[in-house]
Amino acid sequence: MTNAMELYQLLPKTNCKKCGKASCMAFAVALMARELTPEDCPPLKEEPKYKESYEKINELFKPAEGATETGLIVHEDLCFGCGNCVVACPPNVANDPYGVGSGNAPRNVGKLVLTVQDGIVRAQNLVECRRFGKNKILCNACIVTCPVEAIEFV
Amino acid sequence: MDFTSFLKAPEINVKIVTYRDIFQDKAMIENRFGEEYRNLSAVIKLDPSDFKQLSVKKGDSVILKNSFGTVVVIAEESGYEPSHKGIAYMPSSPWSNMLVSDETGGTGVPRFKDISVTVASAKGQKVTELES
Amino acid sequence: MEKNYYVCTGCGMLCDDIEVESEKNIINKVYTACRIGVAHMKDGKESAVFRVDNKPVDEATAISEAVAILKNAKNPLIFGLGTCSDETQELAIELARKTSANLDDTSSYCLGKVIEALLNNKFKACTLDDVRNKADVSIFWGSDPSDSHPRHLSKHSYFPRGTEKQRGWEEERTAIAIDVRKSHTAKICGNYFFQIPPGGDKEFIDALIAALAGKLPKTSYNFPPKRILELANILKGAKFGVIFVGLGLIYSLEDLEPLIQLMNALNEKSNFHLVPMVVHYNMRGFNENLFKETGYVNSVKFEDGTVKHGPEYSIVESLKAKTVDAALIIGSDPLSSLPRSISKNLLEIPTIVIDPCETLISKKAKVYISTAISGVESGGSATRMDGVKVDFKPVIETKRPSDEAVLKKIMEAL
Repeated sequence: MTNAMELYQLLPKTNCKKCGKASCMAFAVALMARELTPEDCPPLKEEPKYKESYEKINELFKPAEGATETGLIVHEDLCFGCGNCVVACPPNVANDPYGVGSGNAPRNVGKLVLTVQDGIVRAQNLVECRRFGKNKILCNACIVTCPVEAIEFV
Repeated sequence: MDFTSFLKAPEINVKIVTYRDIFQDKAMIENRFGEEYRNLSAVIKLDPSDFKQLSVKKGDSVILKNSFGTVVVIAEESGYEPSHKGIAYMPSSPWSNMLVSDETGGTGVPRFKDISVTVASAKGQKVTELES
Repeated sequence: MEKNYYVCTGCGMLCDDIEVESEKNIINKVYTACRIGVAHMKDGKESAVFRVDNKPVDEATAISEAVAILKNAKNPLIFGLGTCSDETQELAIELARKTSANLDDTSSYCLGKVIEALLNNKFKACTLDDVRNKADVSIFWGSDPSDSHPRHLSKHSYFPRGTEKQRGWEEERTAIAIDVRKSHTAKICGNYFFQIPPGGDKEFIDALIAALAGKLPKTSYNFPPKRILELANILKGAKFGVIFVGLGLIYSLEDLEPLIQLMNALNEKSNFHLVPMVVHYNMRGFNENLFKETGYVNSVKFEDGTVKHGPEYSIVESLKAKTVDAALIIGSDPLSSLPRSISKNLLEIPTIVIDPCETLISKKAKVYISTAISGVESGGSATRMDGVKVDFKPVIETKRPSDEAVLKKIMEAL
């Protein structure tokens, strides 16, 4: 993956603030954090002279396609539904202590980040994931508990 | 007779340890006569040094032989550390069972996880089909 | 809202928290089960198959042919039953008595010895619920639940919160793998994976017992003594330890004596239990049901109102010695699971196969009857790997008869 500086080089560098950020550098950082998307920069998206840069930036973010807002990707072909991640996920435990937190079927599906359906883990409700939003941390409970590296953050 | 043809296809002795594999089990439940089950069963996982000695590459066919049976399976890299030269792994299946000894010492328990075979390249040969 | 949970009969864990979406007797979605469970639950079929000599027949013809085979046999083998309910197993035991049969199940060549020892109180046992609520040290020895019982670690042995384990796995639990290869389970155990050479289990046990007694642990394969001492220290400090015994350990030991000694040594210092990693959902049930009736867990021969027992009555030895002259095989495929060098002898005798799915032996059978999948298309009760009784109901309906119904008909016709 790229870094914020590389992204900055592709931006208009006019600090127009149309994206809501104070500067293009701040926008680049927000892009990296996946708070904003390339589309959130109106000049980049609309002005023909930035077309090439816009496509390049979109290309950079392409590997993360299929990834969720937190960058979480489930490799469905590897996952066999053991549920280790479901039970170890801290927000899952906090939101459903007697269901998935205790190794059982979900009792509070609406609040869970990870569940197992048809033998494969599904990610949902990523606002609950510790890697999401302003106060995110680099939680890796779902990664270290996976026997087959089926979960990845990009 | 071309003596070098014997040298070209070296034979090694390995001990096979069998194990369970979840995807192979799943494939068996879905269709034990299917291709997926065969692809996940008829394999032997070898150490890199054994690959070298056999001069085969991963994905090549190899022939496993002992006095109980002969099967052609696909050679795969085990990916296991540390080196396990001379020890190979196979998921338990009708393929591994074709090689298990009938010697039980009267205990009723065959040595499923302790199979001695010779391995040789069988490039181009098809994997043994299940009789049905 | 009260949820409707089903029991998964895909393996010996008998997970009792499975939700299912179905329509017109087809299961579309399965929640919380692993891949094995999902494949198992979605394997249902609507219509029944009855065959004699590989030709389709009606049910009555198939049953009467089966009865004829059993009547003509002097020493029939009745085998399988690990994926049948208690009710079916009890019928099979009765049928074996009636036909003076040789009765055995898959446990004779896997974990039967361990179950027998457990039933004779040779090991301290506990339930999987105890494990979830209390266990601080779980040892997977020659077992790889990630592949054989995929939810084992998440539902019971490592990751869940339990009544006395509220702070989470990182702080309160240690998972240890002892194995000949880095299995998926060993990978999760990280630094607590102890890799030993094939056949090295007995020596490792002896070394561990020495380490527990404060002696220098030695092995012929030079396993670092420091690591064995480190392991012994963890085990000594366990408040509630469990060894999950798999075939990797059992096949490597000539008898259970070393394991009994290890458990005794552990229980002098701490508190250790043993749980067998039973694969078939009701293999333990068969062992317990037969034990109740005869005092043996497998490998029996009924004759003139008496019961004989010994390895010579196991499927392996009886096929090898060709002492059986017909076979009734229920929910098992010896042609898949036994050495071909032994199972080939089955092809020389008439066989009756009762199984939900086509198998290598069903295609060679004299009589084949396809039955409902126990736990998916028919209900009953079973015994979990840890000895806990579990009742289950069918998830969907099928036109296929249950194995229980088929055995009843055979019994009546005899």
